[in-house]
Parts: sequence; C-alpha cells; structure tokens
Amino acid sequence: MSKNPLAWKFILIAVVIGVAFLFSFPPKERINLGLDLKGGAHYLMQVQTETAIKFEMDRVQNSLGQRFKTDGIGYQAILPAGEAALEIRGTSPDQRPEIRTTLEQFVGGWEQESLGEGTWRIRMPSTYRSQVELEAVDTTLATIRKRIDSLGVSDPIIQKSGIDGKRILVQLPGVEDPTRVKDLLKNPAMLEWKEVTYPPGADPSNWGPPAGQDAVIALFGGVLPSDTELFAQRIDQPDGTVVEVWWPLKRVSVVAGRDLRDARRSQDEWGDPAVSFELTQEAGKRFEVATRENLGRRMAIVLGDANNKEVLSAPTIQGVIRDVGIIQGGGFTIQTADDLSIKLRSGAIPTEVTILEERTVGPSLGRDSIRSGLAAGSAGFLGVMLFMLLYYRMSGVNAVIALALNILFVFGALGALPFLFSAAGIRATLTLPGIAGLILVVGMAVDSNVLIFERIREELKLGKTVRSAVDQGFGKAFTTILDCNITTVIAAVFLSVYGTGPVRGFAVTLIIGLIASMFTAVFVSRQLFELVLLRIRPDQSLSI
Amino acid sequence: MFQILKDPHFDFMGKRNLLLTVSFVLVLAAVAVLFVNGLNLGIEFTGGTELQVKYADTPDMTEIRSQLGAAGLGTPLVTTIGDPAGNEVYIRMASRGSADESEDPTIVVLAALRGVSPESRGGMDDLNIEDESMMAALLRQAPSLTDSQADDLAAVVLEARRDGAIFKTHQDLASIPGMTPEVISYLSTNSTIGPLALRSQSYIGPAVGQELIDKAIIAIIGSLIGMLVYIWFRFRLQWGFAAVAALAHDTLLTLGLFSIFNQEMSLPVVAAFLTLVGYSVNDTVVVFDRIRENLGSYRGKDLAETVNLSINQTLGRTVITSGLTWIVVLSLFLFGGTALRSFSFVLTIGVLVGTYSSIFVASPIVVIWQGYLDRRKDRVTGAQQPSGDRKAKKVRRSKTG
Repeated sequence: MSKNPLAWKFILIAVVIGVAFLFSFPPKERINLGLDLKGGAHYLMQVQTETAIKFEMDRVQNSLGQRFKTDGIGYQAILPAGEAALEIRGTSPDQRPEIRTTLEQFVGGWEQESLGEGTWRIRMPSTYRSQVELEAVDTTLATIRKRIDSLGVSDPIIQKSGIDGKRILVQLPGVEDPTRVKDLLKNPAMLEWKEVTYPPGADPSNWGPPAGQDAVIALFGGVLPSDTELFAQRIDQPDGTVVEVWWPLKRVSVVAGRDLRDARRSQDEWGDPAVSFELTQEAGKRFEVATRENLGRRMAIVLGDANNKEVLSAPTIQGVIRDVGIIQGGGFTIQTADDLSIKLRSGAIPTEVTILEERTVGPSLGRDSIRSGLAAGSAGFLGVMLFMLLYYRMSGVNAVIALALNILFVFGALGALPFLFSAAGIRATLTLPGIAGLILVVGMAVDSNVLIFERIREELKLGKTVRSAVDQGFGKAFTTILDCNITTVIAAVFLSVYGTGPVRGFAVTLIIGLIASMFTAVFVSRQLFELVLLRIRPDQSLSI
Repeated sequence: MFQILKDPHFDFMGKRNLLLTVSFVLVLAAVAVLFVNGLNLGIEFTGGTELQVKYADTPDMTEIRSQLGAAGLGTPLVTTIGDPAGNEVYIRMASRGSADESEDPTIVVLAALRGVSPESRGGMDDLNIEDESMMAALLRQAPSLTDSQADDLAAVVLEARRDGAIFKTHQDLASIPGMTPEVISYLSTNSTIGPLALRSQSYIGPAVGQELIDKAIIAIIGSLIGMLVYIWFRFRLQWGFAAVAALAHDTLLTLGLFSIFNQEMSLPVVAAFLTLVGYSVNDTVVVFDRIRENLGSYRGKDLAETVNLSINQTLGRTVITSGLTWIVVLSLFLFGGTALRSFSFVLTIGVLVGTYSSIFVASPIVVIWQGYLDRRKDRVTGAQQPSGDRKAKKVRRSKTG
C-alpha cells in the first residue's frame, strides 16, 4: 500500500470497470443471448432405449439360429421369453456340451440355464444391457449431430441431458421452421433397393400393382413366394387424394443403408429436384450385377426404418448403374430433396426418439422482447435515478453511479462467465427472464444505498460529525445489507438448481447482480464518499 | 434534507392483535379463492401445445375457432394477446395424452389456420414461412438476379421479416433495400403471402409437466426451509418461524390475487414467487436486524416497545426501498411486454404485500410469541432457566459482530 490508500482503491475500481468493459463491449458480440431473445428452436428428446434392447434381442435371436445351423445343432424354435431373455426349444439332450460351447462363444457373459427337456434359457445381463442403451444414445446423438451440421445452423447445442443420460437436448439458434427440423431429428431413414417379384405372366417393364393388398396376393394365386414381402407405396393423385398400392418385393435388399457413401440434392433431366447418391465400392459391384440382371425391369427404392418401410418409387432400370445413381420422380421439392439427402447421408437413428419438450421462438418475437425489456429497464432506471437525485441530492449522484456500475458489472460477468468456465460447460446467457432479473437488480441494489444513506442521516440527526456519521452509517448498515442479500441469494440458488433454461438465466443474473451490488453499493459508494469527505470543510454539511 | 416521514412514532404493536386478525382473514379469503377459482396452469405444468401467431389483418376469432374445430382439434383456448393493433392470437391446447404424441399439433394447427393441406401449401412458397435457404432458392430462380445477388437479397428479406414479423402484401417488400420491381413482380406470380406468421410455439409432454411441477414445489419448499435456517442461524428460531409465517402470508395473498385476475402460471411465474420469497424476507430481516440492535442498547425496555421503535426507525428506509422496487417492477409490468406480464404481476403485488407483512405480520408474531414464552417462564419461575434467556444472551453477543 502506498501513502495514499484511497488512490489505490480507485485504481482497483478503475481496473474492475476496465475488465467489465472488455468483457461486455460490444454487447452484440460478447453477450450470449438465449433462444427466447435470439429466436430459435429448442428440443428435449427421450431416447427410447427399450427399442434398442428389442432390436438387439431380435438380432441375437436371428443370428443365433444361423449359428446353430452352421454348428450343426438341431433345435425347434428360438423364442423371446420376456423382455431380455430367449428360450431355445427342442434341442437334443445329446448335444448339451455343443450347445454350451456355442452359447459360450456366441453370447458369452449371458446367463444360461438348461430348463430340461431340451429347453434352454439365455438372459441378457444388465451390464450388457446398459452398454446397448449407452450405444443407442451415443449413436442417436452422433446421427442427430450429423444431420444438424448439414443444416448449416450456427452454434448449435447438441448434448446429453437428464439424470440417466438418456435425454438429448438440442438448441438451434436462428431456426425458424420448427416442423422441418423436427422431422430431421426424429425420423430415421434407411434406403434400400429391392428387386420386384413379378406375378406370373406380367410384363416386367410396365407392370404396376393393383390397389389393395389382397388383389396383389391374388395375382400370385393366393400365396406370396416365401422370399417376397409386400411394401406400401402412397401415390398422390392429381385431385389431392392418396392411393396406396402394395409392391411385392424380394426380402433381401440389393443395396441397404450402410452401402451408401454420399447423397446430395440434384436435378433430374427436366430440372426438377432429385436426390443423387453414391455407393461404396463393394456395394457398387453388387449394384452393377443387379442392374444388369434387371435391365428393363423395375426395382423399388424403399425408405424407412426397421418398423416402417415405404416404397418411394419403382423406376424401370434403363441402364447398368455402378456406384452413382439418382432418385427422381418422387415428387420432390427442393426442401424434401434436401432433407432426404441429409437423412441418407447421416445414416439411420438406431432407436425410437420421442420429443418431450419443444419450443420455438421466432426471431421477430425475440426482438420485440428485447425492445420491451429495454423500455421497461430504462423506465425503471430513470424512475429510480430521479428519486435518488431529488431525495438524496449529491449523495443521490453517488448512488446512481453505483447503480450504473452495477449494471455494467452484470454485463461484464455475463460476458466473462462463458469465457472463464467454457471448459466446465457453463454458458451464461441473457434470457428474457434474465432481463427481468437485471431490472429487478436495479430495484434491489438501490436498497443497499438507501439503507446506508438513511443510517447516515440518523447518525447526523444524533449530532455526529459528517466523518463519523459516514463511518457509522456504512458500518452499521453493512450487516443488514449482507443479511438482505444472502436471503435473496438463497432463493435464487434454489431457483437456479431446480429451474430450467430461461428461468436459470433469471436466477444467475439476480445472483450476479446482488454480488456486484455488494461491491458497488458498499465499496465503490464508500470511496466516493471518502472523495467528498476530503474536500468537505468541518463546518460544511453533507448533501444527503 | 427531504424526508418522507419525519420521526415517525406509530404504535404498530399496540394494534398487533387487530393487525394479525385482519391478515389472517385476508389469507383465509385468498385460500378460499384458490379453492374456488383454482389456478390457470400453463402448458409447462399440464403438458400441451401453445402457439402465438400474428395475422396480417385483424383476426376473426370465430373463424379461427371453427377452422380448428374442423381440423379435429376440438375447442382449444383462443384469445388475442398483447396490443390489439398487433393482430396476435394465442392458442393453447391441453395434452392429448401420450398415446398419439407423434401427431404434432403445431403442424395441424398451422395448416388449419392457413387453410391448405400441409403437404401441398398450394404449391407455392409462402414468404411468411420460408427460411433463408428456401428464400434464396426461390430468388435464385428469379430471372433478373444472379445467384449471389439472390442470396444477398434473401438475407435482407429475412432480416426485414425478423424486424416486422409479417409481410402483409407483396408491396411490403418494396421498401426492402435491393428489391427491384422486377423481383417483386416475379415474387407476386411465384410466391404467396400467407395470412399469418408463427411467432412462437411450445410443446410440453405430459411427463415433463409433472417433472416441472415437482421441481417447482421442491424449489419453493427448499427456499422456505433455507430462509428458516438462515434466520435461525442469524437470529432465533422463533423469529425464523415468524418470517416464514409472513412469507406464507405473502405467497398466499399474491396467489389469491393471481387466481382472481386469472393470470397464467408458468415457470417464470414460479421464479417470480421465489423472488418474492427472497424479497419479503429481505424486508423482514431489515426490521429484525434493527430489533436485535435495539435489544442490546435499550435493555429492560418492553419487547413490544423495542419492536415498535425499530419499525419506526426503519420505516423511512422501508417506504423508500419498497417504493423504488415497486417503481421498477411496475415499469416491468407496464412496458415489459406480454411475455413478462404474469411474472411482473406477481412482483407488483408481492412487493406491496411483502412490505406490509414484515411490519404487520412478522413483527407482531415475534412480540406475541415472546410474550407467551415470558408468561410461561413466570409460571415456571426460577426452578429451571428456560432457554429463552440463553438465546437472548446469544443475540446480544452477536449484535456487535
């Protein structure tokens, strides 16, 4: 400390002001606005991990049967037994050791027990289960991230959330059309090319299925071939109605989802939107063979997820396609073509996702909120300022300076917090309730000044000197100010712990504001008084 | 020096029984109102969908309701919102249960209001819907624009829409910098201007609603306990109860008025109630602090007298800060926009009630309670030293700190 501690204190204040300026100006760049002010879309989604478990059980059920066949183990059936177990029925007692070995190799770690009479039960252990769930959430997160990235949204937030980590939070600033994004977030997409199973006597290049499932089956004499399944296609009629037809298609696809290397929106020869895609090298070879075999015949493009597949179109193959193709005639608009290519590129979402919460704020509403927030803030500040100046005269100036600094410091902190704690994931954003909190801080922070000033007046009335009245005023009011602010902070802390999104923004602003007010109303204001006391003659009175 | 109150000497404690009775009756009335009227819970708590849309012209509410009914949406709440000149409509629908959650009501509602099926949209781009990339794609096809000009213009058009919320006619576009008559005529034939624009939309699933109710209750109860513990720690347990009684009084009275004026309960409103809790204790603490201080300096004086003195001494401060905080929340209520109306309603009422209660509820309870303890002490006389005295010593000690 130098001989002049007051100078040092003012240097400290100047430094804090400088830092606050640095972090808050220009506010447009420094202050992170919440979605409710900036406009944008917010989604909270639940990953239905049960679906992932079900898929995994289906996979094990199918592949275990095949494995038994290759290992030469006879069985009658493999059936699901409850949510996470399978029963293998009708095995021969002689093959017990072989069954045990195969199970050990194939689903090692699963509980297995022999129920007697050739029946076995295997159960997925909980560690395996949680791993499947975790992978489902991770893959969903990664897929959603890819899809969002291709939308070109700036600064999206895509993260896990919730206590069990099975929720995904997506925040997309600036997104104005909520329905489009939601479709991208939720809808899985797998593209498959399938060969058409023609009914006897049909003309391959021209045949189209009749309306109605039964009519198709009737063409095959009442029974579909075992390698064939029916897939629906919805065809929009010119009069606006939709007709559903059913295509008999081979179960095994020529090309499936993971064979795709890239997909982009393009144009067909008439300039209409279409989607072009590129296959991996290996799939390209398969596709070449298949298209050569099917020249002049139709192949169906099927799109969907594991539960729900739909025929997009069934073009007639005009030439051999290797690894580059185009999907056209699907009645695409630019947007639907774009969205389909995004979905195809990013791969399928492995499990069902439900949207728990969705909010969209249009940018125009956000701007109106900022405008009215500014109006309310200025009106409140002006009212407080006028009163303080009229009532406390020169000391009122002191309070107004403290108040203005308080607001500056809140903005400084809002700018600095994300900078300081970016690693910890703390994002201090200014939300609409945050603006309300800031305005409220003006009213609450001035309380500290009033407490001090009233106390100084009381001491002056008791006949104390200006010097000792100021000392006593600050000293005695301090505990009260501390108590007051702590009680409000207690409420705000509960709010920030249990609040969500914008409300947390309110609590954070309030807490920062009250902490800053301890500095401005007590420390800064005190030093300003010291400055006045230096110049005041003993016979002069204090303007308060 | 200006003074609002010159040396006030009101005898607050002399009328303590009357004051408490009045407050008690008011609280009972508020509880009765709550039971009869209930609370208007927003979708954050009930689950459901809400939309705010802006119309280009004065919206016809009957028409809107019949459009929604025809789309199979039942009879949702439809009201105008905000400044009537803003032509804004607020629509709220209860959750239709988790069964058909996949059906997004927002799309259905918008399609119903726009009067075309969501798939076709009449085939033309609606300038009140398209986002920047779609707008750019549309403008790129305008004969008079190069691609980069189209992209720039799309950004400017979107910016204008963000400012003005809605285009009413194609001629609205004329004032946009960079817009030429050729482009306007191109847009007039190749795009439509829909009758409405979406301002905001929220969907809350029923599961989340219950979760948020739980969290709100935990936060309110938690902060009440927090206050009690803090005042116990800083003052005395019985003062803490007095403060919490005042808090309950404030919260219930404000809730009652909230219910009478049919304001909508939302998350920010819960935040407002918690702030009210903080503010009300804040006011009470100022009086308590002075009581504690005066208990030290005026020993032997009657507690009621000391409390009276303390209230009168802090009355100037109380009136001024409450007034200032009230100015601030009132300007929030008047100018803060519709989104903050319910929030600032709570605080506008709460600040008044909170100030009243620290003088007329918390302090009388302290006096009455202490009086009861003292009478009991007199009856027990001497045999054992009741804990009240020990506490009093502790209070005296901590006063200097």
